[in-house]
Amino acid sequence: MNTPAPSAAELARVNEELRQQLEEAQDLIHAIRTGAVDALAVQGAEGPRIFTLQGADQSYRTLIEQMNEGALLLATDATVLYCNASLAELLHCPLAEVMGRSFDEFVPPGFQETWAALMERGWTGKSRGELPLQTQTGALLPFSVSMNVLAFNETPALAVIVTDLSAQREITAIRAQVAEQNALLDRKNEELKREEAARLVGERAAAEATRVLEGIPQIAWTANPQGINTSLNRRWFDYIGQENAHGSDLGWVEHLHPADRPATGQRWVECLASGEPYEVEYRFRNRAGDYRWMLGRALPSRNAQGEIIQWIGTCTDIHEQKLALERIDQAQQQLRDNNEQLTRANADLDNFIYTASHDLKAPISNIEGLLDALLLELPAATAQSEEVHPLLDLMQDSVNRFKRTIEHLTEVSRLQKEHGGLTVPVDLAAVVHDVRLDLEPVIQSTGARLDVDVHAATVLFSEKNLRSVVFNLLSNALKYRAPTRPPRVCLRTWAEAGYTVLEVRDNGLGIDTAYTDRLFGMFQRFHDHVEGSGIGLYMVKKMVENAGGRITVASTLGQGSTFTVHFIN
Amino acid sequence: MQKLACVLLVDDDSTTNYLNQLLLKRLGVAEQVLVAINGKEALDLLHVHCQTPFANCPVLILLDVKMPVMDGFAFLEAYEQLPADQRQATTIVMLTTSLHPRDVERVQQLNIGGFLNKPLNREKVDDILKKHFGRQLPAE
Repeated sequence: MNTPAPSAAELARVNEELRQQLEEAQDLIHAIRTGAVDALAVQGAEGPRIFTLQGADQSYRTLIEQMNEGALLLATDATVLYCNASLAELLHCPLAEVMGRSFDEFVPPGFQETWAALMERGWTGKSRGELPLQTQTGALLPFSVSMNVLAFNETPALAVIVTDLSAQREITAIRAQVAEQNALLDRKNEELKREEAARLVGERAAAEATRVLEGIPQIAWTANPQGINTSLNRRWFDYIGQENAHGSDLGWVEHLHPADRPATGQRWVECLASGEPYEVEYRFRNRAGDYRWMLGRALPSRNAQGEIIQWIGTCTDIHEQKLALERIDQAQQQLRDNNEQLTRANADLDNFIYTASHDLKAPISNIEGLLDALLLELPAATAQSEEVHPLLDLMQDSVNRFKRTIEHLTEVSRLQKEHGGLTVPVDLAAVVHDVRLDLEPVIQSTGARLDVDVHAATVLFSEKNLRSVVFNLLSNALKYRAPTRPPRVCLRTWAEAGYTVLEVRDNGLGIDTAYTDRLFGMFQRFHDHVEGSGIGLYMVKKMVENAGGRITVASTLGQGSTFTVHFIN
Repeated sequence: MQKLACVLLVDDDSTTNYLNQLLLKRLGVAEQVLVAINGKEALDLLHVHCQTPFANCPVLILLDVKMPVMDGFAFLEAYEQLPADQRQATTIVMLTTSLHPRDVERVQQLNIGGFLNKPLNREKVDDILKKHFGRQLPAE
């Protein structure tokens, strides 16, 4: 088939046409590139095809350009076919660089799926959602997007409106702040109302308390829950000498003894915190400037909710009791000190007696040994001579006396240690009987009459010591007899509550009552005409007291003495 | 009566030592009487006198309790530690004045021949001889 060849003029015309078209296209592309003209770039099989938006209504285009929201059209592969200047601004990206680019690039990696889902729904009709977009600067901003499918020249496109949510978020935040602030104000108001109510209750309670407290004979006071004094009754103002004052006294602490302030303050703070009853002893200065001890007590009073509304307290004058107690304490301390001293002195004495008896024994037995040795060495004639013999006898007497004294001392020392020692029930009658037999020679020689009236009595004592007690008392009665009359001694026993009593009465010399206290002392002797060591009654007393009993004496000079022993049962 | 070979007196009181020496001599109890004024000196004497089999080792020691330097108790403790040859066939008798109660118990627990109250006399010496050496003093 032959087609007639075009003429040269025809070719030139076509060529000119094509050149014009090319120029137009080039201009258009330039215009689109520079953003001067809106256009559509549609991806075709042979590469992007450019469509101008000449078909769109000019007024809509203006509207779109004017609005604050970002608007764009997307191709099926998310290429930005068109966008308005607002979008470019929102994304901080030049308009020319947004168009033709895949919108995926503005979606942050974590939201690609959300974005894909939105698009997928969008292509089926409509969709909307929220997601952050990454601006050119890298910052993420919250946006809401809504999508709509449109058809341009039968080519489908997805119209997307992008709204910046930052501002909205801020408003939400502000609203929340406002709401919070309002709630706070409401709460404050509530609190103020409650406080006011509480204050009224407190004031009423305080007024009531003040009235009641005026009728109390002690100093009485009230304080608010913070511990500040709210009232004091008249007794306080009388006490400090301000008769005309009334109500509260914030200067009350000035009257408190400085030494009592720290402890008082501390306890008060503790009680305010815990609600425990308050109780202290402190001193307040009175009108005369003297400090008096007071017992301070306070209890919290509470409202129906259990909250402390005030404290009510009293101060009771305990000055005299306190001083009495202090005196007793002092006396007791003194007593303890004295006791300690006595115990020490006793221990020292005991030690001294032991050491003395021990250390004196060695030299006296040496003297005795030397005396014996001398006797053996002396010629018999010399020893028996008128001059030497009495000397030797006197020396021997002195040695014997010395030894006896040491034995007594040792005996005393033994008794000291025996304190609280072993006691057994001893038959008093049997002991008296034995002692009587031992003393029979003296009874005979002095013509004494001894009456014994002992009822079956058993005492808790060391048998040896009981014997010693009875022996000493009876032999003393005979020893210190009156020279003018035959001795008459009466020994009897009887029972008393908790005790068995032994009494030895004589008609002997008797002693001046001024000396009876010293009668039981160690080495006390009142009659120098009678042989005696002055240790007997001391030992008797010691033995009786060691066993928990006591001994007393009643005596009349020239008439006789009566010794009474109480043995504990 | 056969005399004891050697008797050791230990006492810090020289008069006591003098009298006891005099007593033993008068009674003719010992061939030799040694005197020490404390436990330490007594140990030294034992060391010298018990050295060889031919030596004159004391068979009886009369020991005081209270002495300076080394007292009777300390001497007994040290004596227990001596080698056997220095404490052969020796009888120790403690001589005391008055014993403090706490010492009585202590003395009773000791492994000694006995204890006697001072002063030493003929009867006491005779008792020791009878009890520990199977002999007695001739009648006076």
